[in-house]
Amino acid sequence: MLVIRRRPGEALLIGGDVEIEVLDATPSQVKLGIRAPRSISVLRKEIHLTSEQNRAAAREIPAAAMDAAVEALRDSLRKSPLKSPLPGPISSA
Amino acid sequence: MISIHTCRFGLLEVDESAILEFPSGVPGFEWSRRFAVVRPPELAPIVCLQSLDSADFCLWAAPVAAIDEFYSLELSAEDSRALDLEKAPRPETLCLAILCAPENGLLTANLLAPVVVNLERRLAVQAVRTDSRYSHRHAIAGEALCS
Repeated sequence: MLVIRRRPGEALLIGGDVEIEVLDATPSQVKLGIRAPRSISVLRKEIHLTSEQNRAAAREIPAAAMDAAVEALRDSLRKSPLKSPLPGPISSA
Repeated sequence: MISIHTCRFGLLEVDESAILEFPSGVPGFEWSRRFAVVRPPELAPIVCLQSLDSADFCLWAAPVAAIDEFYSLELSAEDSRALDLEKAPRPETLCLAILCAPENGLLTANLLAPVVVNLERRLAVQAVRTDSRYSHRHAIAGEALCS
């Protein structure tokens, strides 16, 4: 990984047309300003991972994998039951 | 009651009061705002979040506490607002992890971004963590599949 030290007010360029400026920095947080063409998507990494993971999760789950998970989860619930029973909306399938 | 056609469950009858509203959808499927929680008894504690906006879109999920009893999550101010949890006493909540079957067949749970539900108002958000304490592909049932 390329490591660059920058101070607030300083910037760096990625390719010809993406500019990232450090606007502010505290011990726990860095505030960045990003200038990029509209065609380039800028996403927080965890949101991107979640999108990808949700898309993968929307595919059908094989019955064998589902059954194994049901067993494992019931096992763990037998050892330490949920503090409150699973509430929530019920609709019959 | 409303009746909807679903690919997974056929015709589904859902009480209006049993519908979860995701005010901003979930990442990747922002267009789907309303889900019914379906609980097939043979799959308990796993539940299905069936989209009411698309017959062929559903997500499977399990209570986070069944996956990791020590799991903890600090909601962002934005998520707390979206869930209407800022009043006292705080309404009861439920935390679910979305399940996924990757290529190798081991089921994983997304502990990076659990679904948090305000059970009183039936509001839900997928709360994406900004720390890296938990994986978006936390393996469950690993041993059970190997035997």
